[in-house]
Amino acid sequence: MTRRTAFAMTDPKLIRNFSIVAHIDHGKSTLADQFLLKTGAISERDFRAQTLDSMDLERERGITIRMHPVTIYYTYKGQKYELNLVDTPGHVDFSYEVSRSLAACEGAVLLVDSTQGVQAQTVANAYLAIENDLTIVPVLNKVDMTISRPDEVAGEMKSVLGIEPHEILKASGKTGAGVDELIQAVIDRIPPPPGDPNSPLKALIYNSHFDTYKGVVVYVRLMEGSIRKGQRIRLMRGGTEHEVLEVGQFRPAPTVCDELGTGQVGYFTAQIKNIADANIGDTVTDAHHPAAEPLAGYKVPKPMVFSGLYPTNNNDFEALREALGKLKLNDSSFVYQPEVSEGLGFGFRCGFLGMLHREVIQQRLERDSDLDLVQTAPNVTYEILNRKGETIAIDNPQKVPDAGQIEEFREPIVRVNFLVPSENIGDLMTMCHDRRGVFVRTEYLSQTRAILVFELPLAEIIYDLYDKLKSVTHGYGTMDYEVLGYRAADLVRLDVLVHHKRVDALSTIIHRSTAERRGRAMLKKLREEIDRHLFEIALQAAIGSRVVARENIAAMKKNVTAKCYGGDITRKRKLWAKQAAGKKRMKMVGQVELPQEAFLAVLETE
Amino acid sequence: MTDAPWLVPQAAYVHIPFCAHRCGYCDFAIVVGKDHLMVRYLDALEAELETLIQPRPVQTLFIGGGTPSHLPEAQLERLLRVLKRWFPLESDAEYSIEANPESLTADKIVLLAQHGVNRVSLGAQSFDPRSLAVLQRSHDPTTIATAVKCLSGSISQISIDLIFGVPGQTVAHWTDDLDRALNLGISHISTYGLTYEKGTSLWKQRRSGRLIPLTEDDELTLYQTAIERLTKASFTHYEISNFALEGRQSRHNQIYWANYAYYGIGLGAARYVGGVREVNTRDFDAYLAGRRSWQSEKLSPLDRARETMAVQLRRAEGIHRVFYRRQTGHDLDAVAPRLAALVDQGVLIDTSERVFLSANGKYVADAVIEKLL
Repeated sequence: MTRRTAFAMTDPKLIRNFSIVAHIDHGKSTLADQFLLKTGAISERDFRAQTLDSMDLERERGITIRMHPVTIYYTYKGQKYELNLVDTPGHVDFSYEVSRSLAACEGAVLLVDSTQGVQAQTVANAYLAIENDLTIVPVLNKVDMTISRPDEVAGEMKSVLGIEPHEILKASGKTGAGVDELIQAVIDRIPPPPGDPNSPLKALIYNSHFDTYKGVVVYVRLMEGSIRKGQRIRLMRGGTEHEVLEVGQFRPAPTVCDELGTGQVGYFTAQIKNIADANIGDTVTDAHHPAAEPLAGYKVPKPMVFSGLYPTNNNDFEALREALGKLKLNDSSFVYQPEVSEGLGFGFRCGFLGMLHREVIQQRLERDSDLDLVQTAPNVTYEILNRKGETIAIDNPQKVPDAGQIEEFREPIVRVNFLVPSENIGDLMTMCHDRRGVFVRTEYLSQTRAILVFELPLAEIIYDLYDKLKSVTHGYGTMDYEVLGYRAADLVRLDVLVHHKRVDALSTIIHRSTAERRGRAMLKKLREEIDRHLFEIALQAAIGSRVVARENIAAMKKNVTAKCYGGDITRKRKLWAKQAAGKKRMKMVGQVELPQEAFLAVLETE
Repeated sequence: MTDAPWLVPQAAYVHIPFCAHRCGYCDFAIVVGKDHLMVRYLDALEAELETLIQPRPVQTLFIGGGTPSHLPEAQLERLLRVLKRWFPLESDAEYSIEANPESLTADKIVLLAQHGVNRVSLGAQSFDPRSLAVLQRSHDPTTIATAVKCLSGSISQISIDLIFGVPGQTVAHWTDDLDRALNLGISHISTYGLTYEKGTSLWKQRRSGRLIPLTEDDELTLYQTAIERLTKASFTHYEISNFALEGRQSRHNQIYWANYAYYGIGLGAARYVGGVREVNTRDFDAYLAGRRSWQSEKLSPLDRARETMAVQLRRAEGIHRVFYRRQTGHDLDAVAPRLAALVDQGVLIDTSERVFLSANGKYVADAVIEKLL
């Protein structure tokens, strides 16, 4: 729903643009809702409804309305201020999006749960804000709770982030206590947006979404000049020109206004049909009076995790292509290209920012299309330096050339920061060494908590490291990582042969020293997932022609219904129908039926 | 083709649900302790027969249960009389009834013979008191021979049912059961692998761990023993669980395995008329009150073809390609594209005229069918 209101451009001195950064579950959404409530943007009733639904809302928000900006108004010392709150996603996969949001702001509220203390994501996001030269307004949340320990947590903030205790505010998203003081601190401490209203238009595209009726809705932060309806604009990097059809702000519903001025945050539409034409990070300028230079923009995030996506029925290939195309409209960080697998037929190799991103995409596909899909195990992008001196990116184990052509095999390395209770340091050390981790340093936040830094191969962390961390630390440990680059390692492609046939979708790239253990674990898992057949199935794991592990699935011996008379046929019918439906989810490899779960066997490590 | 046997029934099944007690493996539509309602049941049965509108001549008529022989003479006679009116027998028809050794009397046998019953299927299950105890089956094994002796004077075809795979059963026990059945001089034997149907007493005992089922290997050995023993005694293994001397196959049951049409009358009875599958209610009180219908399903031609393939494969003769196409309107190879692969795996034999289960295929018939569907 779009609202329309009379509008006067705000003086940049009365504008504050800020984000809230926090670790997941530290109460960011509830605090944001309090901001809306205190400034009258939502009613008490809406506030309660949202709070009650916070579980669902949180989940939906994480997926669908992340980075939705909100414009609110607050009167302080006789002046009416316009505050633009730009939301940020909390998960590590989307940390590049945090930087996108931060580029639209001058300040950030750093929110820390006073019952849980500083967490890995707190540190990572605080550093991102510092790197972006933002003014940080630190606040301790949940101070109304009896288990709150504000002094201790303030000590952690001092030792890790260098934040002085007297700068730290205290608030409760639940009761609203301290929220007014926080809003006032945002106004007092965060500088107003710079920029010259009389310069040619310069606006940063920091996000977009696709609307069926309006085309691409482009989210912008005005750096210089202004943008209004009817204006001819140019996207400086994309090179395309459009006429602005609508300009507005989110308050929180999209609200049409006549013009957005310097320092303001809002959106515009211009019948842009293709989301790829409105690149995030691009600069919008006036077509007739263009700016001389575009804004710095941001680095385009590179997908780090890849997996194959195949329709179980090969006839659904085009339908899958269409579904992926629709997804791509709203998610430029998701990439895909067609590929062919001997075992699985025609499908797509898809690239994701991380495992959560992969999960979100998979859920959307399942929700929005009626396709039965097989997803292969995720892998990271490797690099190979071949004998000819060329560097090749390997996003699929099938692309690994013969050993004779490989000069150097390289894998992506990440630096991981773990924040854990001191008593779990030993377990964590073991866990990281098992995954070929290189210890960097330990840093104590307090007597009971420490930061451990390791360099680990990305391949060793993408799948289950987070779960393992949670289990080792009984839920108290958190982690965050950043990509460092590629390093050479003794890597090999491990193939799986099912009934003497290599299943390309089950191939995986691993470190040579782990080949036997991984091979055994994979085959054991496959044995559990593949139903017995009418013949014995041989399972083998091999490097080249050398078999490193083997298993057998015994043939089915007896499986026959004793009675099949009149009434039994009716009963059997339903079973047959169910079996036929179940088979739709199976993928035939030779004469062997592989369920979706089998393709994830590659991930088994022990 | 309006009177094609897969559309217009030439067979009828009539269900008599009364039993003296419920056996441990039984999940049929039966009632125990309702003998005082037999007359009302026969009233309801007659009411259902009225829905046939006119007498329907049949080539096979089968009275099953339950325990039809549990009916006292008066009720049994009424049943036989009524059925004669609604399902008159064609010449050379097969007329079967199920009976328990302990409920069959000389007078009842006379009555059956008088009304043209020419086949009796005896629920013997085992000659071994231990197995009978596990199955919660009350009869004394010696009554089986007595019953067969009484029947053999007036009933030309006698069949007995045996169950294998009973917990605790050994190959020796089972061989003994088979030999004793063969010694009776009967012409038909059904051997059923014990199944643990949900909700039955045996199922509950197995679930709670009080009863340990045989291993798959042991079950297979017992099944192979039956096939070996009975075929050696000149019995033809003509369906997964059925063996007969030449010419003594159950014609009525072959209707089911051809996927032909049949009438079904009585509590929980299933029928297949004009391509529609229907099942009566299993609620005894509802049936007495005349609320019979429970579910009805009209099959699509492709579903019918799939189903026909599945049931016909249970027969030793398997599927005749030409007949199959005539019956279903579909080519077998189009309905079952994976047929050739299963022939390669040795579970099916294809003579181009017919496709049937190999010896090894019979042990895993359900899995073979599943692969074909």
